[in-house]
Amino acid sequence: MTTKRATNVTLFIAFALVALIMTIAMPERFLRLINLQNMMRNLPEYALLAFGIMLAMTVGGIDLSGVSVLSLSGVVAGMILSRHQELGMGPWMTIILAMSAAIVVAAMCGVINGAIVSIAGVPAIIATLGTNGLYLGIAMGLTGGSGLGNFPLQYIRIANGNVLGIPIPFIVFVVVAILLGFLMERTSLGFQMRMLGASPVAARFSGMNNRVILIKTFVIIAVLAGISAILLTSKVATMRPNFGQQYMLLAVLLSVLGGTNPDGGFSSVLGVSLAILTLQIIATGSTFLGFTPFFRNFLYGVMLLGVMIIQFYRETGQLAGVMRRFRQPFARKKPAAT
Amino acid sequence: MKTSFPKALLARHETYLALIIILFSIVLANATTGFLTAGNLLSVMRGGAGLGILSLAFFVALVSGGIDISFPAIAISGQYIAIRAMLAFGINSIWAAFGISIAIGIAYGLFNAFLITKFKIPSMIATLATFNLYHGALLEFVGTEAVNVGRIPTSITEFGRMAIFRFETEQGPLGLSIFVVVWGAAIAATWFIMRRTMLGRGIYAIGGDAEGAKRAGFRVTRIRYFVYGYVGFLSGIMGIIHVSLIRFAQPNNIVDTALLRVIAAVILGGTAITGGRGTITGTTLGVIIIILLDRHLIMLGIPSAWTEFFIGIVIVVGVIATHLRMKISRVRRGELVVDRAH
Repeated sequence: MTTKRATNVTLFIAFALVALIMTIAMPERFLRLINLQNMMRNLPEYALLAFGIMLAMTVGGIDLSGVSVLSLSGVVAGMILSRHQELGMGPWMTIILAMSAAIVVAAMCGVINGAIVSIAGVPAIIATLGTNGLYLGIAMGLTGGSGLGNFPLQYIRIANGNVLGIPIPFIVFVVVAILLGFLMERTSLGFQMRMLGASPVAARFSGMNNRVILIKTFVIIAVLAGISAILLTSKVATMRPNFGQQYMLLAVLLSVLGGTNPDGGFSSVLGVSLAILTLQIIATGSTFLGFTPFFRNFLYGVMLLGVMIIQFYRETGQLAGVMRRFRQPFARKKPAAT
Repeated sequence: MKTSFPKALLARHETYLALIIILFSIVLANATTGFLTAGNLLSVMRGGAGLGILSLAFFVALVSGGIDISFPAIAISGQYIAIRAMLAFGINSIWAAFGISIAIGIAYGLFNAFLITKFKIPSMIATLATFNLYHGALLEFVGTEAVNVGRIPTSITEFGRMAIFRFETEQGPLGLSIFVVVWGAAIAATWFIMRRTMLGRGIYAIGGDAEGAKRAGFRVTRIRYFVYGYVGFLSGIMGIIHVSLIRFAQPNNIVDTALLRVIAAVILGGTAITGGRGTITGTTLGVIIIILLDRHLIMLGIPSAWTEFFIGIVIVVGVIATHLRMKISRVRRGELVVDRAH
């Protein structure tokens, strides 16, 4: 628990620091309502993928197919939405149909991933890399590689709308984060997922059904990707099979940055959420500074390595000496108070 | 205990791969015209050489118990930097091209090894990061401009036309492309290292059990440096083969399609993702399956938009079959008692 809190405190300091630097450096651009709203509108689509990677890492695996589940369910939803006039069932019925189709398709992808990993016993990284190609292939085949558009106006208004000035996608993000936090900390499934990630053999001998837990986890991950597809298609009002492909590294980076242990057993929804907010500010800042997307990718790579290197020093205890000296003023007060 | 000849053959993963290739070839020969011609087969081999070389690299990394997914970024970096450097300094030599590309490949590979051995970063996470690092650096600091056929140095295009065993046919001269020769040399070198040297034994040993290998006296860190350096070396070679084949250099090539196909070929070839097991024969047969599929699905009347889907299906089914087969054989040998462990 203490390491968890320490990581989250570090992350919060990083978040506050980055936000402060941006506020001081360019207050007239950063603090404008439209900029803050844009940031809140842009982050949920990859934040949900990052939560997915976090869940996969918690059970000791990884899910590289998230971006393709997003593509496939986005394409399925887009195909229904672009025919809204021919279907003749009214815009809202079409939208509900399209959204349900996206979620159902995503859940099916999750069941397939979970079955391959848990029943056939294929390592998650290989299984999901394979299904990644498969789902993207279906999305490509369905559209012939071209884009979908002509969505009903009501659908586009969802992700572009605000409630009390807060963009709807951000509200979705907050709700999902709270639900996931509840799942991981307060339900038996969350506990079992962490157990399974920490030691699959011990989990099985303590009477857990590892297969069912794995399949459930992969379904949750895929449904998150399906929700992400709805947010993305609604925001940009079009869909192409290659949308979202650039988010794979970002999702892994955010998950690790948020303190998730890639070997399983440990994760924090709050930590990953803080990492997401911090990185969105950095991304916005780099756009203001005129960096190309290539350079941003380069920076993400550097950051991922940086986090892993810091974690290495923390685990080997070489960082502890520095940290102890840093914390001494706080440590001394404690015995005096009791 | 000696097993009889057909039984030993049936127990081998490679036998099934060979059977799949034969079956698929029979289907192709009957369904299409022009599959079983010398011209087509030589051209398939020429086009598949690059994939074959990358697969050897990925195979070695997997056997050592690690994984390297940064190789497409290494290959395109080597290729594109070599071409741009040759254009900038007016060099026109295939040796320079290979020299620059291989040097970059080895440097990048050793940097991967440094991150993995020094900071104990899981190789998957480290190479995912360096994939973006290398490719981002290439696009940001070297450029995004495509070099088209007219500007590619002539030594590169001449190298692409080189062939041995030339013979004349009605359709024109044919021969075994230099690419296939390089691929063959890479297979031979990898086979020699993996099967005939102490280093190769070390690679298998650390893949099976790194701690055990260390106690047995293998220098695990040095072996890891060699493995990732070798991945970079082969990726550097592939970069130049690729540009000689398509005579067009663009910094988004290779990274878009190579990763999935290479992983598919190696895993289909029976190499264990957990390390310690795998054969070069299996890997090469896996490559042949993937390049046959890649080139001939269109001939079978499957629209090109669905090609990725069919390759995906083959990968998923192949991976499941491989794992189930291995699991069954391990249970039979008594190595695996509880097969329900995750």
